[in-house]
Amino acid sequence: MIIDCHTHWGQQWEEKSSGNPAPWLAILDRNKVDRAFLMVCEGLFRQDRVVADNDHVARVAKASGGRMIPLGTACPPIGAPAVAEARRCLTTLGMPGLKFHPWVQGFSVADKTFHEICALAGDLKKPIFFHDGTPCYCLSEQIGGLARMFPKTVFVLGHSGILWNWRSALEAVRFPNVWSCLCGPHYRAMELLCQRADSDRLLWGSDFGFGMADPIGYRLGLFMRTRISDTLREKILDHNPRRLTSNP
Amino acid sequence: MKTPIIDAYCALGTDREYDLDADTLLRGMDQAGVDRAVIAPVDRQMAVYNREGNEFLLKTAAAHRDRFIPACSVNPWYGPPAVAELRRAVEAGARLLVLFPLVQGMQANDELMWPVVEAAAALRVPVYIHVGAYHNSTPWQVVDLADRYPQADLIMGHCGATDFWMDVINAAKAAPNICIESSLARPFLFKSYVEAIGFDRGLMGSYSPIDDFVFEWEEMRKLIPPEKDGGVYGKNLLRLLEKRGPL
Ligand SMILES: [Zn+2]
Repeated sequence: MIIDCHTHWGQQWEEKSSGNPAPWLAILDRNKVDRAFLMVCEGLFRQDRVVADNDHVARVAKASGGRMIPLGTACPPIGAPAVAEARRCLTTLGMPGLKFHPWVQGFSVADKTFHEICALAGDLKKPIFFHDGTPCYCLSEQIGGLARMFPKTVFVLGHSGILWNWRSALEAVRFPNVWSCLCGPHYRAMELLCQRADSDRLLWGSDFGFGMADPIGYRLGLFMRTRISDTLREKILDHNPRRLTSNP
Repeated sequence: MKTPIIDAYCALGTDREYDLDADTLLRGMDQAGVDRAVIAPVDRQMAVYNREGNEFLLKTAAAHRDRFIPACSVNPWYGPPAVAELRRAVEAGARLLVLFPLVQGMQANDELMWPVVEAAAALRVPVYIHVGAYHNSTPWQVVDLADRYPQADLIMGHCGATDFWMDVINAAKAAPNICIESSLARPFLFKSYVEAIGFDRGLMGSYSPIDDFVFEWEEMRKLIPPEKDGGVYGKNLLRLLEKRGPL
């Protein structure tokens, strides 16, 4: 089984299919991907769309027969209501985790409200995914800083540092509560992460769904070419993502 | 004569994440149907050991004259000795200057870059700049340099990938003496860039071994078929390289 740990329910998909997961899932089928962690998209860019976008993602995931694993978000700059929305995602909507994009959402990882959300996720034992690798709010080392402050919360580097910050991702994954998704680093960085990081905490992802383009074939192909063992490849594509959310 | 298919950027040598030797690269080229490749130095030879790197590339290219095109690098921090080493390397056969602001320790629009870029323009060798690292090398920094030296041919390596992807098209449109190179930019985005700024300003580079040589060529050809490449697979680079004379 292949589980893509970084995809989005982009606004275009919502408009095009109004809650029907079939056209989106057809892209997964074409690439022989079975399941995907599905993150919000419009809710990352627009504070006024957070609640609606969380609902969209929850609804489409429900209609996907378990193939889409929904991740909601909240908007820390608005304060207490953001904590309430994070709680709603993790409890009422039953989501197995949250996704934040501090650069686009416009908050620092030092934000006090965000720290409340980190504590909440830790208490509920649900991971927080990040866009990482970009200054000035979400460099991989900044997520490493959060991991030090919230040792009971699991943090996922959604991009393993993208292109230029992968060395910081490699440092951050020294912490047992940091996982790293191979979605964005080049081929050699992927190989070095596989060699040097704890392979129990590595994932793979494509970032599919942001627009209508299909990056899955390229990104999966790149990962399949890495010079790692088949056992490790299977662990990253299948076993690890299941363990992350205990979703068998 | 048929235009050769050229990979615009491969880094030859061993250093941290770099692990490419000449035989492996030649095998990849044969497998991917690529006639020639620009060979560039590894990071350490760009940061400090410039002459060692340049000599290695010149020697390696001399042993495979019909396959490899040697680049050279000098660290602008060395000042006049950097310009002297550039002249020496180019006179010995180097056909392209590589600058890596992140590794060499300055911004792409830093005054340190000026004498080196000016000398490269006078020698009629294009300047490849690694672009995309925050602060050190953004697309608009390259435009600053291109404005200052309109006679220089600048190659925007990686198209500012990842996070400056939104700047590439406007930046390239602002400076006609900039070509964009595909490595790290991912084929599905690179194609949209050349569609916007013109295929004649696009160059295909794999940045092997940082990305996989054969895979990058296969993926690019799926999106830009060879019969409609607009010069991306060799002709555009050849136009820049041959300003100094036939290869
Ligand atoms: Zn994403």
